Amino acid sequence: MRGLSKHFGGILALNQVSFSLEKGSVTSLIGPNGAGKTTFINVVTGVHTPDSGEIHFQGEDLAGMEAHLVASKGIGRTFQLVELFGSLSVLENTMVGCHTKSRASMLSCGFALPAARKEEKRIRAEAMASLMLVGLEKRAFDPISKLPLGERKLVGVARALSMEPKFLMLDEPVGGLAAHEIKNLVELIYQLVSKGLTILIVEHNMPFIMSLSEKVIVLNEGTKIAEGSPQEVRTSEKVIKAYLGEEV
Amino acid sequence: MSGTSREKFLWLILITVIVVLPFVTGSYVVGVMSFVAIFGGLALGMGLLLEQAGMFSLAHPTWFGLGGYVSGILAVRGIAPPWLGTIFSAVFVGIISYVIGAPLLRLKGYYLACATFGLLLIVEITMGQLGTLTGGNEGLMGIPPFSIGALVLETDVHYYYLSWVLCLGCLWLLYNLMDSRMGRAIKSFSDSEVAAKSMGINVPWYKLKVFILTAVMASMIGSVYTFYLRFMEPSVLGFPLLVELVTMIIIGGGKTLYGPLLGAFVVMWLRELIHLSLGGFLPRMSAQVDALFFGVIIIVILIFMPGGLSGWTDRLLYLGRRTFGKAGE
Amino acid sequence: MTLFSQIVQYTISGITSGSIYAVIGICWSLVYLITKVLNFTTGEFVMLGGMLTWGFRGTGLGLVPSVLFAITCTILISMIFERIAIRPVRFPSEMTYMMITIAAASVIKGVVLLGWGSETRTIPDFFGTEVIHVFGATMTSQILCVLGLLVIVTLGLSLFLNRTLFGKALRASAINVTGASLMGIDISRFRFFCFGLAGGLGAITGIVITPITFTGYEVGMLTGLKGLVAAIVGGWTMTGTMVAALILGLLEGFGAGFISAGLKDVFALLVMILFLIVRTLDLTLGKGRVTR
Repeated sequence: MRGLSKHFGGILALNQVSFSLEKGSVTSLIGPNGAGKTTFINVVTGVHTPDSGEIHFQGEDLAGMEAHLVASKGIGRTFQLVELFGSLSVLENTMVGCHTKSRASMLSCGFALPAARKEEKRIRAEAMASLMLVGLEKRAFDPISKLPLGERKLVGVARALSMEPKFLMLDEPVGGLAAHEIKNLVELIYQLVSKGLTILIVEHNMPFIMSLSEKVIVLNEGTKIAEGSPQEVRTSEKVIKAYLGEEV
Repeated sequence: MSGTSREKFLWLILITVIVVLPFVTGSYVVGVMSFVAIFGGLALGMGLLLEQAGMFSLAHPTWFGLGGYVSGILAVRGIAPPWLGTIFSAVFVGIISYVIGAPLLRLKGYYLACATFGLLLIVEITMGQLGTLTGGNEGLMGIPPFSIGALVLETDVHYYYLSWVLCLGCLWLLYNLMDSRMGRAIKSFSDSEVAAKSMGINVPWYKLKVFILTAVMASMIGSVYTFYLRFMEPSVLGFPLLVELVTMIIIGGGKTLYGPLLGAFVVMWLRELIHLSLGGFLPRMSAQVDALFFGVIIIVILIFMPGGLSGWTDRLLYLGRRTFGKAGE
Repeated sequence: MTLFSQIVQYTISGITSGSIYAVIGICWSLVYLITKVLNFTTGEFVMLGGMLTWGFRGTGLGLVPSVLFAITCTILISMIFERIAIRPVRFPSEMTYMMITIAAASVIKGVVLLGWGSETRTIPDFFGTEVIHVFGATMTSQILCVLGLLVIVTLGLSLFLNRTLFGKALRASAINVTGASLMGIDISRFRFFCFGLAGGLGAITGIVITPITFTGYEVGMLTGLKGLVAAIVGGWTMTGTMVAALILGLLEGFGAGFISAGLKDVFALLVMILFLIVRTLDLTLGKGRVTR
């Protein structure tokens, strides 16, 4: 991503944010509240159109592309507020993630053609596999309303994983998770990364980030103020000032 | 067709009852049940749009009426036989709904409702004004009965079966649709458009598809209605029909697919009840007066029981499910 | 009639209708801004004003008492409606309220139809039926009453909303409901009041226009809808609604005169649809305030 800027009304949410990510790496995006982290994800995934800047992914510039097209290119994300589909069960939520990898048309769905039904079975199996990755296969047929926040976030992760993305952005995946769930998530992330998935995590939970990330990027009020290894960022004066204010 | 054996069993019962009905009851019941099929079919589509897809389009009576008018006009003028006219008007409505839907479906919530309401009235008024084409406010007359080649449908029973075939066909199609990838897509964008988009669902395009599909269904039902009654007039595709459909959806409950059909059954028979019991007292029984009663029903139900009847029947029918752990096959 | 006279004639009828739509649009705004409810019974209140006046006159009452009774009844009906159909809703949502108001409009129409039949009715002009000639076009004094109504209503409302404490509180609630209730304002009482006010204004509008356009059970829906169009296009502000309504009225007048009288109502509806479509290109939702 290069020079990404985004205005919201009179507020400059992102100001010339630029950095690049390596394939198969884990990067964290941190910053005080309101720094523009979620806006960043929204801009990259096409939910918002940037006022200026480029997003280079696999040789293409995705800036300004519509959200569903960005998704089909292999970019997935989870949401800070989870945004699960209340009318669907856990499994069905995850199956939505497989949407880009299926092609049954309206008519073949409506007439229950064999091709559509076969694909449906395949999607179901793949979604189950995603649920197993996050450890929620036992909850597959439960309605979303029955799940606590931590498990809902995991469903969101499973849903994004069903897309088989090449680049995954997790927006505050850890808040509300129990300790063992966090441990599982960390292991899952290592697994995914070893298979070549590039991950960007937005989080506030410092130990989680510091242990996991190869690189950390810090945003404050829409501007990138630091970029480097966890160590470097932790001791950077600018970062400390941003989080704690002028007095340390 | 996918579905649990329990669902297949219910379908079987439904179909058997429908098929057997004319042999055990008289033409009065057959007539009312034909209307249950016709308006129930309409309510199904509209219920899907309103409740499952979260799209507040009030234009359904318009598609119904246009379908009827176009196929009726084609038949009256000898341009196309009824069966062909039905197909042609379905295509016509499909195109119109595409053209109108594309810009309108971007509107949110009640602005879409207002715009489609406006559309409803515009078409109703216009149909009344196109005297030479549509017969104006007196209506289109002299419409021949439905026929395919040499096979002509004459009696009430014929149309009973025709309308139920159409209605159940629509129900079956919509069931398959909602149980599939597309159905999930629809439910997902009605819950969270943002998340749906991020999963690769082209929301505007899907909204349009569902809109057109239900419009085409309504059109075909409208054609059957026209050939059944051999008559069509502007007031048919107006406000009272809208109120009636909404009543059906609300009584039956829109959360389930079949709810509106159940609602249609209740509403049609309720109307017969009202006419029979109050017809002596009240000077004029017309669609407007029906709408009065339906209005009251709508208000009462919306205040106290927004889930409608199918909220209950669903729980009854599927009681055993959770305890056995499996919701699907 | 010469072309010029025609133009004057259509302009007069256009401004007349426009004034009516303006006040009706204000009625819609009053309820919408406080409660976010699109109250489809607004049109029916307009109809009731005229119908009830006719009804009361039929019992032998003079014009003035009939008018007063009609207005009072309509206000009561509106307030009762709010109490029994809006207040008790268990799962409030915009669409639920909207469907309830649509259903209620249907009920009112049905009752009027049952009670008084389907013929159109009228009441006498307030100040006699003398015809006034203007550049070859004709108008009656009633039209001046209509215009006068618009002026009085807008002035009165402005004063009320800007100068009185209650009015200012109303405006505050329209802008920020949560903040207002935190300040101790009882929103449901305000809602109750706004429904009553909208009912009263609607009734007066209906009464004033009835000598010109007559009234009947069908009249409410389209007239009310046109008021809604004016409010939407006008961005729910008072001046906006007025301007939009006048333009709408003129459009209608000229359209009916030069193009087709039968399609008169279609113009307003088309305007609404086109406006809504164009608006989606600019997504600022109607966050209008009650006064300018």
